[in-house]
Amino acid sequence: MTAFWLLAPIMVVAALGVVLSRKAVHSALCLAVVMISLAMMYAMQDAPFLFAVQIIVYTGAIMMLFLFVLMLVGVDKTDSLVETIKGQRLVAIVLGLLFGGVLVTVVAQAFVGPVVGLGEANADGNVHGLAKLLFNRYVFAFEATSALLITAVLGAMVLAHRERLEPRRTQRDLALERMQRYAEHGEHPGNLPTPGVYARHNAVDVPALLPDGSTSEISTSKTLRDRGVVRDGAFAGDVSVTMRRLEADGPERGRVEPPPSTPARHDGEEDL
Amino acid sequence: MSAVSVQAIVGAAPSPIEAPDVDYATISPLLIILGAAVLGVLVEAFVPRAYRFVTQIAVAVVGVVAAFVATVVVGAGLDTVDGEVTGRGGPTAMGSLSVDGPAVVTWAMLLFFGLLGVLLFAERRLDGGLSAFTSQASTPPGSADERHATRLRIEHSEVFPLAMFALGGMMFFASANDLLGMFVALEVLSLPLYLMCGLARRRRLLSQEAAMKYFLLGAFSSAFFLYGIAMVYGYAGSFGLAEISTAVSSQIGGQNLLLAGMALILVGLLFKVAAVPFHAWTPDVYQGAPTPVTAFMAAGTKAAAFVAMLRIFFVAFGGARWDWAPAVWAIAIITMLFGAIASIAQTDVKRMLAYSSIAHAGFLLVGMAGLTSGDGVTSVSAVLFYLVAYGAAAIGAFAVVTLVRDAGGETTHLGRWAGLGKESPVLAVAFTIFLLSFAGIPLTGGFISKWSVFAAAWDGGAWPLVVVGVVASALALFFYIRVVVLLFFAPPQGDGPTVAVPSPLTWSVVAITVAVTIVLGVLPGPLLDLVQQAGAFVR
Repeated sequence: MTAFWLLAPIMVVAALGVVLSRKAVHSALCLAVVMISLAMMYAMQDAPFLFAVQIIVYTGAIMMLFLFVLMLVGVDKTDSLVETIKGQRLVAIVLGLLFGGVLVTVVAQAFVGPVVGLGEANADGNVHGLAKLLFNRYVFAFEATSALLITAVLGAMVLAHRERLEPRRTQRDLALERMQRYAEHGEHPGNLPTPGVYARHNAVDVPALLPDGSTSEISTSKTLRDRGVVRDGAFAGDVSVTMRRLEADGPERGRVEPPPSTPARHDGEEDL
Repeated sequence: MSAVSVQAIVGAAPSPIEAPDVDYATISPLLIILGAAVLGVLVEAFVPRAYRFVTQIAVAVVGVVAAFVATVVVGAGLDTVDGEVTGRGGPTAMGSLSVDGPAVVTWAMLLFFGLLGVLLFAERRLDGGLSAFTSQASTPPGSADERHATRLRIEHSEVFPLAMFALGGMMFFASANDLLGMFVALEVLSLPLYLMCGLARRRRLLSQEAAMKYFLLGAFSSAFFLYGIAMVYGYAGSFGLAEISTAVSSQIGGQNLLLAGMALILVGLLFKVAAVPFHAWTPDVYQGAPTPVTAFMAAGTKAAAFVAMLRIFFVAFGGARWDWAPAVWAIAIITMLFGAIASIAQTDVKRMLAYSSIAHAGFLLVGMAGLTSGDGVTSVSAVLFYLVAYGAAAIGAFAVVTLVRDAGGETTHLGRWAGLGKESPVLAVAFTIFLLSFAGIPLTGGFISKWSVFAAAWDGGAWPLVVVGVVASALALFFYIRVVVLLFFAPPQGDGPTVAVPSPLTWSVVAITVAVTIVLGVLPGPLLDLVQQAGAFVR
């Protein structure tokens, strides 16, 4: 009884936490506390099989699945607390409290006689006793559960599995298709130029420069171009300014010879 | 873990467990249906796509017909049990199932509904050679992938094994002899239905919403049912209906626990039969689900859940009838009135049929509240007759709904049905017959079934319920007549409704249900005899 009174408040608090906490992960962890406490209750009631199953299946497998799903969905998501039906929450709380009150009253007033038959049921061991019930008296219900499991698997496949509707395209198919497009439309079969080549920066929003100093449209992502955040022109301008200056200085000065001692530099940055 | 239990785990030389003694012949209808379902899953895995749909239809139809034959054989061979009231058959499969008269009649009824349902599922001529189910449920509605899958003419033939599982669950639910089995059966019948509700080809978002609502509310109601079972177990110390009955009649202490348990179990079951105030899911789900599924679900779930409810409350809680009868009275009254009044305000055919289904749950509860047994019209026989007549008419009505279409698929707005009588007189007459049967007009099955539940209630002294029932019927009649007038005499909107030309599958469903509805109204004798000979529940 001591263990019960120790566990019961923890369970009630954790159960409230499941319902009241705003973050789904907190709810899930509270649920784990409830489940582990429940397992201990089973152990106290001389039901070692249920104790083990509760830990292994519920706390171990199902809780972890819950957490996986929550992590995938996004841990930082909180529930929307906007009421779609006005006053719904208040009504729900009042009705829930009334219902809970009725149930607590009923269970509290229930006359429970001295518990008999536990020793008899566990005479050959708890697991053996359960096996006897499952495979003898309740064998039909036990077998019918398999229909439930098959339905669940079938349902998961129907709702979530997307069948491959066409044969998988291999690398060879893709290459052939690229060459085909090149032959028919002249589309360049190779990689697109990477952004930032010969430009001052190699950030994704800086287009590559062509030999004549103009920018290459296709070197930046279409999304960035559509958003208008590509920094073009600014650096192309540098090149044209340099070119103009070189031309003004005459053909002799225009020859660019890198100094032999220092490595080639891309642009006008200072040496450090 | 205490030392005792550790010792108990390793305990010395346990006594051997005897093999369960199961009479496979008696429960063969159930095994055939579940076997057909499992076979359907294997077909899904191994048969090439081109032949899959046809193979699934064949497996389902052969399974249902074989199970029907087995049911007839089992029913003919039931031993008569003499007790206070005559019964037939008795518990089998280690007491898990009670294969008695009502159970066998319900099996036959469910298999009949199942066959009609499979025929509707198999209809492929209405939607350009494709079934009423979505091509790929995993693709987002309206996406390019969905159109691609449709173009490739892919179909979800998994609906056939799912329907078989649901059918198996319904049959188990109607014949389960302990609360544990009832809970498993409830889940087995519900889970495939939740799934199938979300697979409509047209208006997929509505369909998915319906499935979600049905699933959440259904899971909620299952929890009530389960909590009730736990309380009753705490009271009686057993799941068996017979043992609970003994505990109830010997008035062992803890009456509160029994009352709360009965109330919670009643809530779980009333949800399934769609009685007010547990009906909120019905219109949305009936409207959103693919119409063949709605037809199957409306008839099958109601039949299975009502027989299970009668079995639990008559067999297990029969000794406490004065405790639960008032609740059933109250719910019957509000369900009849609400269903009848709410259906008047509907503008959608499927929602209207949903509210009519709610009203019919009320009429069926009147039969249950009568609590009559013995000779003549008993509560059980009246409800069984009602379920056959209602189920046939409901499947027929939904089959008609699948045929009235416009460019966007089925057109369910009532206004668009104006002038159906000119477009397709045969279909309009069939729909009228179903509506008249719902209203309880003489010469239809609905009249005899209403008469029998009212007679059962009257004999049991529930005359106020009969009075309310008649008032509610009159209210509903007003509405049904209005729809009939709309079908035949109202000017059509625009071009009026188009009636698709279906394959013989849907035509045969409409023809069979019309025939059953009229035969039950004109010559109800054979079925009335059958349900009366089925006798009482045997525990």
